[in-house]
Amino acid sequence: MNDRSLSVTEEQAVHRRLMQFGADESLATPMWEERETSVRAIAAHLASLWDAPVGLDDGGDRLILEKGLPHARASVLNLIVTVVDGAAADRVVHTLMGLGVRHPSRAIVLVPEPDSDASPLDARISTHCHDATGGGDRVCYEEVVLTVRGEAAAHLSGVVAPLLIHDLPTHVWWPGDPPFGDPVFDQLVEMGDRVLFDSADFSHLLSGLRRLGTLRRKSGVGDLSWERLSWWQELTAQFFDAPRFRRYLPNLSRLRVRYAVAPPTSRRHDEDDEVAPGVAAPMAQALLYAGWIATRLGWRRHRTLEPMKDGGFRLRLEGKHEMVDLLLEPMPTDAVRPGELLSVRLRSLGETGASEFIIDRDRDDATVATNCDGMTALLRRVAMESPREAELLSSQLTMDVVDPVYEDALRAAAILLASAREAAA
Amino acid sequence: MQTVDRQAQPVVAGKPEANPLREGLRLERMAEPCTMVICGATGDLTERKLAPALYNTLLGGFLPPEFTVVGFARRDLTDEVFRQHLLDGINEHSRNKPVKPAIWESFARGIEYHHGNFDDPVAYVELAKRLDRIDRDRGTAGNRLFYFAVPPSLYPEIVNQLDRAGLAANGDRRTTGSKRGWTRVIVEKPFGYDLDSARTLNHEMAEVLDEDQVYRIDHYLGKETVQNLSVFRFGNGLFEPIWNRRYIDSVQITVAETVGVEGRGDFYDATGALRDIVQNHGLQLLAMFAMEPPIEFGAEDLRDEKLKVLRAVKPMARADVAANTVRGQYVSGWVEGARVSSYRDEPEVAPASETETFVALKLAIDSWRWAGVPFYIRTGKALPSRVTEIAVQFRRAPLALFSRAGVPQIDPNVLAIRVQPDEGILLRFGAKVPGQGLQIRTVNMDFRYGSSFAVDSPDAYETLLLDAMTGDASLFTRDDEVERAWAILDPILEAWAAGEGGPLHFYGAGSWGPPAADELLDRDGRAWRKP
Ligand SMILES: NC(=O)c1ccc[n+]([C@@H]2O[C@H](COP(=O)([O-])OP(=O)(O)OC[C@H]3O[C@@H](n4cnc5c(N)ncnc54)[C@H](OP(=O)(O)O)[C@@H]3O)[C@@H](O)[C@H]2O)c1
Repeated sequence: MNDRSLSVTEEQAVHRRLMQFGADESLATPMWEERETSVRAIAAHLASLWDAPVGLDDGGDRLILEKGLPHARASVLNLIVTVVDGAAADRVVHTLMGLGVRHPSRAIVLVPEPDSDASPLDARISTHCHDATGGGDRVCYEEVVLTVRGEAAAHLSGVVAPLLIHDLPTHVWWPGDPPFGDPVFDQLVEMGDRVLFDSADFSHLLSGLRRLGTLRRKSGVGDLSWERLSWWQELTAQFFDAPRFRRYLPNLSRLRVRYAVAPPTSRRHDEDDEVAPGVAAPMAQALLYAGWIATRLGWRRHRTLEPMKDGGFRLRLEGKHEMVDLLLEPMPTDAVRPGELLSVRLRSLGETGASEFIIDRDRDDATVATNCDGMTALLRRVAMESPREAELLSSQLTMDVVDPVYEDALRAAAILLASAREAAA
Repeated sequence: MQTVDRQAQPVVAGKPEANPLREGLRLERMAEPCTMVICGATGDLTERKLAPALYNTLLGGFLPPEFTVVGFARRDLTDEVFRQHLLDGINEHSRNKPVKPAIWESFARGIEYHHGNFDDPVAYVELAKRLDRIDRDRGTAGNRLFYFAVPPSLYPEIVNQLDRAGLAANGDRRTTGSKRGWTRVIVEKPFGYDLDSARTLNHEMAEVLDEDQVYRIDHYLGKETVQNLSVFRFGNGLFEPIWNRRYIDSVQITVAETVGVEGRGDFYDATGALRDIVQNHGLQLLAMFAMEPPIEFGAEDLRDEKLKVLRAVKPMARADVAANTVRGQYVSGWVEGARVSSYRDEPEVAPASETETFVALKLAIDSWRWAGVPFYIRTGKALPSRVTEIAVQFRRAPLALFSRAGVPQIDPNVLAIRVQPDEGILLRFGAKVPGQGLQIRTVNMDFRYGSSFAVDSPDAYETLLLDAMTGDASLFTRDDEVERAWAILDPILEAWAAGEGGPLHFYGAGSWGPPAADELLDRDGRAWRKP
């Protein structure tokens, strides 16, 4: 057993602490753990889980019994997660438990260790029941962590398939840098109705974005970095909901996006940081944002003004009526996680006069303002808390359709990045 | 040259197109910029329901930056005090609390208080000026939502005064002020007291407002499960074919409250359970359950279908009232571990009050689909648990196949749709007990929304406020529905008042109503579910 994995009691403590989606109570059964086990034994254990009342846990808490009948549960989703090592598996379990009542019905976390000749298959299974707020409603789910060694690690899909709850949609989440092109990767992606990544984790951002753009799944491809943008997108769209401001849209002439990068010296110490320290591609979010605006407004690539340098660049795009300057600027800061947006400014010139649409972030709040002809209208403060990874995951897990707006933004982001790079090369 | 966009939309200068940045965003529904004028803004409803609903709608990102609130009531308050009043209401009653200071401060800048008496014309002239100023300063585009959080007796006065001050018309018909924008009015229940008074009220409002400006709130319709009822029925192929007299034996609708009159004794004593619950929630649930599939899910189609059901419910002849209704009133007892005193001992309740705190009814829907299927409705206060549900009892299997094997009659299948709490659907059916013998037991298949989709459902008021701000009237009751509902209940009210509708029965607080309610079903060979 991996010495870095959490012990059962620690895990339960973490679990209780993380139940923050309006938690009243959550009940975890003792963990089932078996080394050198078989897929068949695991499947049998999973099948037995909800068969009979489980009794009381060691704290004397009531378990999965209801009105004297075994609890029948409603299942909605399978999730398969593949990680690189035991430590990463723990982080994933940590995040999954943060989903609380939004946890997928069955999560299978795979830790492939192809180079190890220890026992081919180790498993641990923990089951949880969680009382949602308002009482009565109870969500039950289980987590299966499998360490697969040696040759079996090249056949992960065969290990997972018998363990899924049948007839349910299956999502595949690939935290970290996905091994595009690896046959095991292809097998697992094939099993997912929907696949989730975080493009900020791509070690080769450009090729990663291009690969993502070519993946086709029934229920679409999700990206946690895109999800992080949703509040920025909402605020941006709000500027132009009022018809009197909408007429500025075709005359936009400049978009400046600033995003956070880690300051060269300091290290962020954040106890609650659920992700691995460091972000491989902090530019991902800013690029997706720019790609989003560009595709929604029909901007085309035109010319590179300042090629990529230290994560910043300046491009000229062809807008509907005006040429548009697009600036991406990294800003070293400790205040927020690297990769998060810090500021967006949209400027428009034209016969309607100069105007600027501003979102400036300041830790957990943001100032949103519209400047038209030198007059500031509608200055307001809004909440801008960085969503936790569990929250991002949870909204991505509830999506089950292809998101064409994301796909457009993704393609555009790759084109923007390529233009900034080509010129630099 | 490569392009980054494949389907750019044409944007014509000058003419406002749809906002291209909205496409595909999560928040597809966003209130239009508008001013919400709360008439009766210092009252109980504002504090308990409206202020929290507004705040949660704001947090969800559904309110545009221009959104403005004007509180209108009699007390002389400053803007500051009024804001504090709303803030206290939120901190006390909201599902998200405490309030985030920076967000609140920014929102509070768009909250004003307008002091005046509802019968004072000057107050409305001033209000009109204020609204025009807000339109200019905050860009609310002439859109106004009036919320009548006042006793219904004041509606006609307010509507007339609004009219005289030029505030009642939609933009294109306005004679003063902004020529753009809409005007909508949300009114609270109870809407009328009987058919006559409801007609009068509708008529008085119609003199000034078009029907499509009036949003009559029935907060039950804002509940997620009630909306899910349509999805459940019409979105799944499985149920619609059996949703009729061939397969359904009977339907029970229960709206049970554990609370007593909670300090609203004078209101309740003049109202009673039939008017307070059955007229609106009870009959609306029945209509949503029994209606034909609408042609489209637009407001008018939906309400047309509900109206058809209500029209098929034949009002009882006076002589039949005693046989088909049971009314009850609670006496002291225990509810949820606490002692409850008799209804007649409540403050502001007449010591010899004949008002019903419980009612059970048997109704029939004379339509092809439902002829012969009884619909039982019961509602009451001080009952053992708080639950709202619709339970469908299916017919028994045509042949008692297993009785030859010594198995007794299997219980009929039941499908229960729970509206609150624990929104969900439960199916009861017989299954063979594992083993060699043939033993059949009833099992429950229990689906709870909460345990599959654990989302914080918005409060009904949040849904409905946003609906009104976006102009969706589907979940509001139309004038003809309200009147038809009263027409169904009028004979019952008349018979009771004339002492012909059977006696008032007493039941202990904490019981499921008087025994007479059980007899109502027992006579038909049925029994109430214990929810
Ligand atoms: N409370 C609830 O939970 C609830 C639930 C469902 C439906 N409703 C319905 O909602 C409506 C409002 O109920 P409520 O409990 O909020 O009533 P409430 O507490 O009595 O409040 C009445 C409000 O109207 C104002 N008002 C009354 N007469 C006025 C006048 N002549 N001029 C100016 N302002 C006047 C009062 O202002 P001042 O205080 O400044 O005098 C107060 O703000 C009623 O139709 C009720 O049936 C209420």
